[in-house]
Amino acid sequence: MLFKKKKKDIEDEHLKNLAKIVGQKSILHHKEDLLSYDCDGFTIHKSLPKAVIFPKNTEEVVAAVTYCSTHNIPFLARGAGTGLSGGAIPLHEEVVISLVKMKNLLSVDYENRQAVVQPGYVNLKLTNSISAKGYYYAPDPSSQYVCTIGGNVAENAGGAHCLKYGVTTNHILGLELVLPNGEIVEISENGVPDMPGYDLLGILTGSEGTLGIVTKITVRILKNPEGKKTVLAYFDRVEDGSHAVSDIISAGIVPAALEMMDHTAIEGVEAGAFPVGHPKGIEALLLIEVDGIIEGIDEQIDQILSVCRNHNVRDVKVARDEEERGRWWANRKTGFGAMGAISPDYLVQDGVIPRSTLPKVLNNIKEISNEYNLRIANIFHAGDGNLHPLILFDSRIEGETEKALKAGTACLKACADVGGSITGEHGVGIEKKEEMRFIFTDDELEAQIAIREVFNPNDLLNKGKLFPTPSRCMDIKKVIKETAAAQ
Amino acid sequence: MTATEKELSNESPPCATNKLSNYLWEDHPDENKWADCVHCGMCLESCPTYLETGQEQHSPRGRVHLIKSVAEGKLEVNEQFMDPVFQCLDCRACTTACPADVDVGGLIEEARGQVRQAMPLTGMKGAISSFFLKGLFPHPNRLQAAGGLLKFYQKSGLQKAVRSTGALRVMPKHLAEMEAIMPEITTSVRKKYKDVEVIPAKGTPKAQVAMLKGCIMDVMFGDINQSTINVLTHNGNDVELPKNQTCCGALHVHAGDRETGKKLAKQNIEAFEKSNKVVVNAAGCGCALKEYPELLRNEPEWKERAEAFSEKVEDISKYLYDTGYEKPTSSINKRITYHDACHLAHGQGVRHEPRQLLKDIPGVTFIEQPNADTCCGSAGIYNITNPEMATAVLERKMENVPDDVDMISMGNPGCMLQMAMGVQKYGRSGEIVHTVQLLDWAYQEDQKKQPQTTDARKE
Repeated sequence: MLFKKKKKDIEDEHLKNLAKIVGQKSILHHKEDLLSYDCDGFTIHKSLPKAVIFPKNTEEVVAAVTYCSTHNIPFLARGAGTGLSGGAIPLHEEVVISLVKMKNLLSVDYENRQAVVQPGYVNLKLTNSISAKGYYYAPDPSSQYVCTIGGNVAENAGGAHCLKYGVTTNHILGLELVLPNGEIVEISENGVPDMPGYDLLGILTGSEGTLGIVTKITVRILKNPEGKKTVLAYFDRVEDGSHAVSDIISAGIVPAALEMMDHTAIEGVEAGAFPVGHPKGIEALLLIEVDGIIEGIDEQIDQILSVCRNHNVRDVKVARDEEERGRWWANRKTGFGAMGAISPDYLVQDGVIPRSTLPKVLNNIKEISNEYNLRIANIFHAGDGNLHPLILFDSRIEGETEKALKAGTACLKACADVGGSITGEHGVGIEKKEEMRFIFTDDELEAQIAIREVFNPNDLLNKGKLFPTPSRCMDIKKVIKETAAAQ
Repeated sequence: MTATEKELSNESPPCATNKLSNYLWEDHPDENKWADCVHCGMCLESCPTYLETGQEQHSPRGRVHLIKSVAEGKLEVNEQFMDPVFQCLDCRACTTACPADVDVGGLIEEARGQVRQAMPLTGMKGAISSFFLKGLFPHPNRLQAAGGLLKFYQKSGLQKAVRSTGALRVMPKHLAEMEAIMPEITTSVRKKYKDVEVIPAKGTPKAQVAMLKGCIMDVMFGDINQSTINVLTHNGNDVELPKNQTCCGALHVHAGDRETGKKLAKQNIEAFEKSNKVVVNAAGCGCALKEYPELLRNEPEWKERAEAFSEKVEDISKYLYDTGYEKPTSSINKRITYHDACHLAHGQGVRHEPRQLLKDIPGVTFIEQPNADTCCGSAGIYNITNPEMATAVLERKMENVPDDVDMISMGNPGCMLQMAMGVQKYGRSGEIVHTVQLLDWAYQEDQKKQPQTTDARKE
């Protein structure tokens, strides 16, 4: 090479040994390089890892995990780092095991409708690779352009179309897992569904990287629906939109997707890179998609249109073609990132509520917004009552990060108070640990921690995530406060 | 940099009042640009260097994070910071992917400006960079002479001799590969139209446009500039070639030499002040001209002039598409695929127009390639400064170029050289052509068929 750069050698003994396992080119240890790993999609808490390593296969994962375990070094797994609850943030100077180099599609079995992928394989790539044959992978988180299926398993990711098709856990048929002690475990090796015994796939999917590191995933693939139609409806009052959602569901229709955006969210997406040209002054919009056998679709669309009209819809239309449908979805799916165009920072919450309480909770969120004097945009999966209040703030203004955190907590409290949950698909991570107390008693939390201890007895893997630790919860709040103040 | 140099530069930055935390020099990265980034990561898969390395510091959001961290005082402008900032291809694919329109390209260029002031290039690298960027590109006469030397190298038999003696084996591999695809040097437009102010339209003129001749384009690809003139005049445009125009400065801005970039920008703004339209046939140059307001953002008076100027700049394919062009009747019976130059697709949003131009030529079978808008690795002089990454990016690109095409069309000279290297290296078919050349060739065939046209009479 003409212009060779000199890099400093590794000094730390452990890192030298880890470098031997994965190769010199597959380890990062300079502060400048590590800085990019100090947070994921949740940016309020930042903290540097000890190192980042990039194993290329299961054997290297096993060797690295075994080494860390033996030497009592905390570690965690990371995919594309798009998580919104801080699940991949190193709180204890972890060695971050990035799985993005394990990004192959290993096999597709169309006959049995399953595919085997490595954890770093990007979600949308699976659908793109099999769509020519008429198949797709159903879970479609908004970050599906970049997020990895390994990360989806860790977070039990959802997505717009999970209303009809279920979340990640409904599509996982088998896993290869490296336990924190380095042991490899194969669960449901041949992807046969509903194996007898305890549902280990169920426990592992959504365990937020606290039980083991997934190195191979067998997923269900589906045949493309025969037909698909998409409706966009504009409302002048949020209540009208909410009631339309309830009525669509109670009419017995199960849309593939039923999404809602409020006034502030619309302002964001229209200022972003994929505007649709939504009319001004709209208080709520619904994006509704119906799919299935062609013959049934028009009837359902007619029903949906008449429900919307019954609720004073200002305008409602069906996508003319695939191009228009694509534009509507790009506008919705890039919604979170688009908030950058109207606010320097945002905090997204992820509450779940019984659908019938939608108007009430949206009202509560409005009150919270007024109380904290922070704008809150709502962009969410209305069909399954999965709210995403996006609290807009500016971390450069002193005290505003703290205020945003409090407003976020208040939103989750509002969800828990109507019998809902604090997370639908983004996970608990470090963000909502304390809020776990809104829905679980100490005994219930202890019971779950006991499960973690079976897999991860020394708590070296992704330590400090998912559960509030009674003795430490005050400390954690303090850490978050300090970070907020430092920014 | 020695300790004394560092001390000096720290003590007396050129504009101390304008510094921002650890950015010690004026024209530092603009905090409003990173304020748009919420770290969502939607840019990751669009970034060629992230796809290659899988490492976040080589991703758009990682780079934005680093650039922001210097402003927050967490990092210094040093060697480790420089690496990710200079590994960026400046291809702007992230700008297309970003939901919030974060101007990553602008941030990278501003950060490079800081790096170059903090750590001026020294030794061999400095000498080479300064030879090309300061000694050659801004000086049309010297470029002309260099072109003449290249022509001599090719025509005199020297090239043949060098190739047969194996002298190339002692050159670094990537430079030898570049030598192998050097296009045949033709007469530059600058030389040919030395005393001509305006080249008249054929038939009744409907508009007058100015043309940027470019530097590399004119020396290495004089025939493409000629084709551009032919196509413009064929479609009723008088073509001005303003005398004082110079290099667009893109390469300087990419390399962090913003000062030279600004000088060149100002010269061009003045040179084209009287023109209503500035037509460009090199995507990289066109994008740079359109971004003069960003380059001159801290000089209010110039910024205004730059804004007026950039409004006038248009890529040749878009200009033809917007103003209308005659569809040729002669056929070019070829299978043609199109490569989106980054600075055309991501930089200027021009995707549809060149494709339509190609499809309007009878006989052309247009073959779309997957991921047509991913970078080929040329990226200005990136393939010279970062050959390893450029080669990896090129390999990925070539995997997507269909095997069975006769021609690969595009709108940027840098891409043409790089793609030619790809074709040669991987033993592929496909002649590398500029979109406008194809239109010109078809028009030429039309004219052969009708020798008694009004144009012929006029001439």
